[in-house]
Amino acid sequence: MPIIEIKDLAKKYPLPDNKSETFFAVNGISLSIEAGEIYGILGPNGAGKTTTLEMLEGLNDIDGGSATIDGIDVAKEPFKVKQIIGVQLQANEYFDNLSLLELLTLFGALYDRIIDPNDLLAKVHLQEKAQAKPANLSGGQKQRFSIACALVNEPKVLFLDEPTTGLDPQAKRNLWDLVLELNGAGMTIVLTTHNMEEAETLCQRIAIMDHGEVVAEDTPQQLILKHAAEPPEAPLHGNIEDVFLALTGHGLRE
Amino acid sequence: MLSKLQIHLAKVFLKIFLRDRQSIFFSLFFPVIFMTVFGFINNADQEAINIGVVNNSSSIVATDFAQLLIDNPVFAVTIGQEERLRDELIAGDQTMVLVLPASFDTESESENLRLLVDAAQVNQLSLIVPLLQQTLISIEREFRNIEPMFNLELEDVQARSQRYIDFLLPGLMAFTLMQLAIAGSGFNIVEYRRKGILKRLFVTPIQPKDFITAIVLARMAIVLIQLTVLIAFATFVLDVRILGNFASFYFVIMLGTFIFLCLGFCLGSIAKTQQAVGAIGNIVIFPQIFLSGVFYPIESMPELVQPIARVLPLSFVSTAMRDIANNGAAMLEIMPSLIGIAVWFVISFVLATRLFVWKDVAN
Repeated sequence: MPIIEIKDLAKKYPLPDNKSETFFAVNGISLSIEAGEIYGILGPNGAGKTTTLEMLEGLNDIDGGSATIDGIDVAKEPFKVKQIIGVQLQANEYFDNLSLLELLTLFGALYDRIIDPNDLLAKVHLQEKAQAKPANLSGGQKQRFSIACALVNEPKVLFLDEPTTGLDPQAKRNLWDLVLELNGAGMTIVLTTHNMEEAETLCQRIAIMDHGEVVAEDTPQQLILKHAAEPPEAPLHGNIEDVFLALTGHGLRE
Repeated sequence: MLSKLQIHLAKVFLKIFLRDRQSIFFSLFFPVIFMTVFGFINNADQEAINIGVVNNSSSIVATDFAQLLIDNPVFAVTIGQEERLRDELIAGDQTMVLVLPASFDTESESENLRLLVDAAQVNQLSLIVPLLQQTLISIEREFRNIEPMFNLELEDVQARSQRYIDFLLPGLMAFTLMQLAIAGSGFNIVEYRRKGILKRLFVTPIQPKDFITAIVLARMAIVLIQLTVLIAFATFVLDVRILGNFASFYFVIMLGTFIFLCLGFCLGSIAKTQQAVGAIGNIVIFPQIFLSGVFYPIESMPELVQPIARVLPLSFVSTAMRDIANNGAAMLEIMPSLIGIAVWFVISFVLATRLFVWKDVAN
């Protein structure tokens, strides 16, 4: 059963060099994300991944089409949607001078919930850092803490925007384990990434976006079979990176 | 009524501020230093006037005259050569140099004493010349044995004369509350946006009114605490007294804080970067420091500027606070200021609600 349904979703922006003209950052995409899956949105910089997530999260106005999460219209009832989603943004800075425990308690209050912050920290393996300030965390710890903040309302859908960008391999794998753990408990997770290995390891299904459009959507295996260069006799050859480059080309972005 | 979330968030903002030792230090440092400097300058005794005396006469009268000047506590007398004293006058060590001519004695009818002054000290001259003349007259009387017709008797009724520090305190407090309020809303919002904190808050179900209410509550508490510290310092260390009603004094403080918080929200909504908020903030803050009667009365400003100066929000707030603190004015007596405050209250509130669009500010 799909939990997120997106139909002809569109977002226009004025052109950077000519404000009177507009272009479509997201150009009428339709997606259907199943409850309980890890869904990956891949694409080069400027493909429209983050804009798509931001429209679903209510951060960006929807200029065309519609989107529902758990049957709730995103554009019409943004505050109802915010109750059931958890969001980890690319920027992960927090108020200065507050400890992780205090920040989590604050996030709980934003949802009108009394939570056990220690319990949440244990979930993301940060118990020992309870009294630390976010500024003193490592990159991986910061990302895990961001996820803890996104979990305070026990969301049905968790959005992760490039969760492993800038992390070292250990921290990256550690975060993957966490994502799989959460998904194992039944949470739907939608993530954007540049990291092909990440998409291949984590995602049950992947959409590849370019120039505001979805150019392919399927399971990693099927995508490899369909698009990886030189279809082989052997069942699986190449990897998702080959698929990605085959679909979006080798040209350098931004 | 206030919701649980609003109170929780306000406590969080308060906690963030209280843990920011540097901010607390600097927001108190400036007014305290100012008050101390002006408080003690005004407490010091009137300094003696430095006067150089060139005695070109060898008569007893001239020597007696010089002695009388030396005995007068108003003057600090240096006797010497004209050339040296003239140099000292130019260097600023002497306020004036009095030259007694060679023919200075009782026999001559009327003598011209030459008084050398530095034109840069003109404002002091208007005080000193009569004093000097007075001394000359009394000396003349003594020599001619004339009884003066009048004698002034000084009687101290212990009235509280207003010192500059008394004038300064309410203005300085109004200025401090403006700074704290604008920093609390405007500068903080831009900072939170830069860090992406507003975006993160936006994706939670928090309503903008909860966020704003919490900031207003927290800042109100911060301003009241800081100003109370300043009042305590002024009262116990500098012996400044607030003559009027404390409740009305704090009432005006709270209204003023609200106005500047609203203006801060406007600032934070318009300015997208830290540099921009600094620049626009200065446009709001700077003129008000000089035009709003914080350091000197609006009446002493050029006629042309006065009408503009009088309608600035800080002018209304500082005037109302000063009337209460210095003159013990009741609410009714400061009606004109209160009306001005009320008008700014409405203007700033309407502007803030128009400009502060949650989604635009967060993004």
